[in-house]
Amino acid sequence: MKRYEGKKVVIIGGTSGMGLATAKMLLDGGARVAVTGRSKEGLESAQKELGNEAIVVSSDARSLTDIDALASRVKTEFDTIDLLFVNAGFSIPTPFESVTEAIYDEMFNLNSKGPFFAVQKFAPMISRGGSVILTTSIANVKGMPNQSTYGAAKSALRSFARGLAAELLPREIRVNAVTPGPIDTPILGKSFPAEAAAQMREKIPGMVPMKRWGTSDEIAKAVLFLAFDATFTTGAELPVDGGWSQL
Amino acid sequence: MLALNNKVAVITGGSSGIGLAIAKRFVSEGAYVFITSRRQSALDKAVAEIGKNVTAVQGDVSKLEDLDRLYSTVSAEGRRIDVVVAGAGFVVIAPLTTATLDQFDQTFDTNARGAFFTVQKALPLMNDGGSIILIASAGKNKATPGRSLYSGTKAALRAFVRTWTMELKDRGIRSNVLSPGATETPILEDLFGSKEAAEAGKAQFASATPLGRIGRPEEIAAAALFLASSEASFVAGIDLAVDGGLSAV
Repeated sequence: MKRYEGKKVVIIGGTSGMGLATAKMLLDGGARVAVTGRSKEGLESAQKELGNEAIVVSSDARSLTDIDALASRVKTEFDTIDLLFVNAGFSIPTPFESVTEAIYDEMFNLNSKGPFFAVQKFAPMISRGGSVILTTSIANVKGMPNQSTYGAAKSALRSFARGLAAELLPREIRVNAVTPGPIDTPILGKSFPAEAAAQMREKIPGMVPMKRWGTSDEIAKAVLFLAFDATFTTGAELPVDGGWSQL
Repeated sequence: MLALNNKVAVITGGSSGIGLAIAKRFVSEGAYVFITSRRQSALDKAVAEIGKNVTAVQGDVSKLEDLDRLYSTVSAEGRRIDVVVAGAGFVVIAPLTTATLDQFDQTFDTNARGAFFTVQKALPLMNDGGSIILIASAGKNKATPGRSLYSGTKAALRAFVRTWTMELKDRGIRSNVLSPGATETPILEDLFGSKEAAEAGKAQFASATPLGRIGRPEEIAAAALFLASSEASFVAGIDLAVDGGLSAV
């Protein structure tokens, strides 16, 4: 029997990078997987990479209407799930003085509000012994210029992992967070202009204790550990960051 | 010499509880304070209690136009700002399964967004070397059922001051969080609904607190004075717990 056979998983933000890598590992291990994304190209390339077994859904992680629609689709397809991985998120790096109300709201809608209501909608479907994983960021423990709203929105999310872990405890559902350090994913090119992204690709390894970028596969392995093997761990945050936040 | 002689402080949520205690203490240390609250009646009462060196501006920190009005009042009075205390807060018990969009928005708009723009909009009027103090909560690192939204907003504040410490270092502006534990304030009574329930709740908080009691607003104000004054000139980006040991053990 394959390692994840019989498991049913939803990955919000699963058409590229860390979400996609996690979906691949799960599918290879025999799980059934539904992933979401927003861009048409992203959805198409994910379907191609993951194959026809995977359910690929167009869904905006900020939209409560989309989250509702996704939940009913998943209910129909899977009935119950074993893992909800809320991974969608990105930063709009902006100096404090220039943060507009629109940027502020965008950061919190995507990184705090969407995930909160996704957990609320999916919680009734999660089986006993199941798991929720939230993707946070090292920006929630490190002061990084231009990341005040992103870091704060991710801090709220990290706090949700504690509060929701307490509330879902009676149903034996564990809630944990995974904190990626610098991971070379397509989002880097989306969050920064090409030149800045190129500069970061060069500069960042020097700042990380392990002197390199992390890979999406390394995040996926941590997610699967928290989801299925870390049976005595809840409300925790697991940094996968080459030591950046710890050393 | 007084610790805040001739300094100017803006204190949101300054009409009751911790905010009012901070306003009183700052004025007694020589500061001029601007206080805000949503309720004019509470402001009138607070102004009478503080007695001197105070201007009250009615407003809701979740409304950006109210913040603009606050700072145009400061500016119209010909003052510049040395200390900003973001103390306005909103709390609701909202379990995950029943939390509504309105509860989410009201909590985040007041506690996180309100604090963010309270500070951003103060910056043009702020003197270099000033101090920013965000009032968070000892509960932000604990898991309490029904409190995920509130704790989430307070965790966001903790993240803000880390980044602002980096972004405002060239102006010598220090940003810190002050985290009270359970404190004897009117918001506590509102939270529990009735006086009896509040008394029971306070007894429970007291027994959970290593020092065996809940805090007094004056004790929070003393810590705010420290962070606001030059006594804390090398303190930046921290979370100062004033909670009877609750978060430390």
